[in-house]
Amino acid sequence: MASNGQALLRVENLRTHLFLKRGVLKAVDGVSLHVDEGETLGLVGESGSGKSMTSLSIMRLLPKHSGRIVDGHVWLDGTDLTTLPEDEMARDWRGSRVSMVSQDPMTSLNPVFTVGDQVGAPFRYHKLAQGAQAVRDAVVKVLGRVRIPSPERRLDNYPHQFSGGMRQRVVAAMAIACAPRLLIADEPTSNLDVTIQVQMIELFRELQRDSGLGIILITHDLGVAASICDRVAVMYAGRIVEVGDVRTMYRAAAHPYTQALLNSIPHLGQRRRRLYAIGGQPPSLIDPPVGCRFAPRCPRRTAKCDAEYPPEVELAPGHVTACWHPGPGGSA
Amino acid sequence: MSLLEIRDLKKHFRVGGGLLSTAGTVKAVNGVSFAVGEGETFALVGESGCGKTTIAKMVLMLERPTSGAILFDGEDLASMGSAGVKAYRRQVQTVFQDPYASLNPRLRVRTIIAEPILAHGRPERATLRKRVEEVLDVVGLPKTAADLFPHEFSGGQRQRVAIARALALNPRCIVLDEPISALDVSIRAQILNLLADIQERFRLTYLIIAHDLALVEHFSTRVGVMYLGNMVEAGPTSEVFAHPRHPYTQALLASVPRPDPDHRPPADAIRGEIASAMAPPSGCKFHPRCPHAMPVCNTEFPGWRNLGATHAAACHLLELT
Repeated sequence: MASNGQALLRVENLRTHLFLKRGVLKAVDGVSLHVDEGETLGLVGESGSGKSMTSLSIMRLLPKHSGRIVDGHVWLDGTDLTTLPEDEMARDWRGSRVSMVSQDPMTSLNPVFTVGDQVGAPFRYHKLAQGAQAVRDAVVKVLGRVRIPSPERRLDNYPHQFSGGMRQRVVAAMAIACAPRLLIADEPTSNLDVTIQVQMIELFRELQRDSGLGIILITHDLGVAASICDRVAVMYAGRIVEVGDVRTMYRAAAHPYTQALLNSIPHLGQRRRRLYAIGGQPPSLIDPPVGCRFAPRCPRRTAKCDAEYPPEVELAPGHVTACWHPGPGGSA
Repeated sequence: MSLLEIRDLKKHFRVGGGLLSTAGTVKAVNGVSFAVGEGETFALVGESGCGKTTIAKMVLMLERPTSGAILFDGEDLASMGSAGVKAYRRQVQTVFQDPYASLNPRLRVRTIIAEPILAHGRPERATLRKRVEEVLDVVGLPKTAADLFPHEFSGGQRQRVAIARALALNPRCIVLDEPISALDVSIRAQILNLLADIQERFRLTYLIIAHDLALVEHFSTRVGVMYLGNMVEAGPTSEVFAHPRHPYTQALLASVPRPDPDHRPPADAIRGEIASAMAPPSGCKFHPRCPHAMPVCNTEFPGWRNLGATHAAACHLLELT
């Protein structure tokens, strides 16, 4: 996709495969994207579309024996993370310059350590604070940044003593502890109630305003993506099918899959008799179709779609889609 | 007459009281009333912990109410004899949230769908076979699906199997507990459309539990908004969504992230988090988070106030107008 010389993160033609007993699963199959400083990129797709595998590839946290980056580059601030030795990745990058917030705050926090211990871990590991008191002060400061009330009293509490929304703030505090350049948030709001969701969305916006942090927000919720992202990339079956700035994507999406996603969910305030249902299911990534992967479910399918994967076309500056028949779609 | 009527329903759970903790009472449902007409879709909405699932469990007789009544076709569940209860269980079925958890992985689809039928009678093998194939056809699965195991299906197809099982006994009412939230986005519309089709075809009454307000607006005819064990507003869905009167309903609707980049949810729509059900706030339970709280809200529980023929809410503000 279109790349920018000044980009904070540039992923080029990334291919990550999972080597399973039943075959090679091409989870990420040629993904290119970029994130600028201070920008939020939404990575939208269904489960199995490769969005989480893309982020795990950037973090180099793939399943140890089965997962491997087989091709492509991940440039962060000019360094190719795919070529770094593991010890350097762990010491200087993962958790410090690039960090991650995962979906379920209860499984990403250890129930037998206090919140102060766990939020202090990145400071100790990356040697950003020396001595117990300095770590404690740093923890209080970062818990304050994620708006946890009276952090100096809360840091000796255990995760179960926090509510769901507060736990997600604790996880966010761990992720921003070392002032990362890039934050990957994997479905950070999907287990939260709506009233808490909106508070989390506001928190991410605030953190970004203060620090020029680049964010990749992984979500299947088009509402959440619209509320927070500057640009949105839609993934389907291991590839990005369309990317553009948030307004273009919601007002003038050109790929039939993006349009189908928008038409298949109920929207508040627009009561419709029936929803547009996308027939069929996503293809197997062990043996994906040769041509366009959405073709078997696509209303605009032609012989060409089955024969050859469509090239990327730039419809407007920054608005890129991979489709043989792009264009406005209505209800397709 | 309404098919299902809930009258002043309460469910209190005793918690703790073990070696390490003192006993407490969680008032999960604390005096809720509503009625669902035949062929209607009534949605219960609210944040986690508001009591909506507990109500569904009591309707399904999976929990026994602490007090209050559930009436089906005008008859009180508590006073039904065992034959009456059996007939009730046949007429009220359910579809759970997660089809990966609600279908036994060791049974073939045929056995899964036949189970409720066999629990209520001894049909001949040919009749049973025919019925299983009938309901599979209704939910859009081929006959051959009967001989497969759940793991051979995708999430959407599994939910179709769960719906087929719910239809097996020709029920009049189905309780839908978050029926699409475990499914992939591109599959959800298929299942929602299917549920709408079978409702029309069999004149089903739905009680749906959901947290997705856009889904509720699309799918339900009437809605009840719950907060910490109480109903705070109820009425026709179109009216409640267009003119929400309770500050909680207003905040909930304002918070929903919309797929529209020009509509960003206001950061100050609502403050704080839902209080613990162990120690709910005094007076109106919403008052600590309410932008319009008045002194009276702290002391007095607001009464139910009618705002039209079928729209009502419980808020002190409504007394001022």
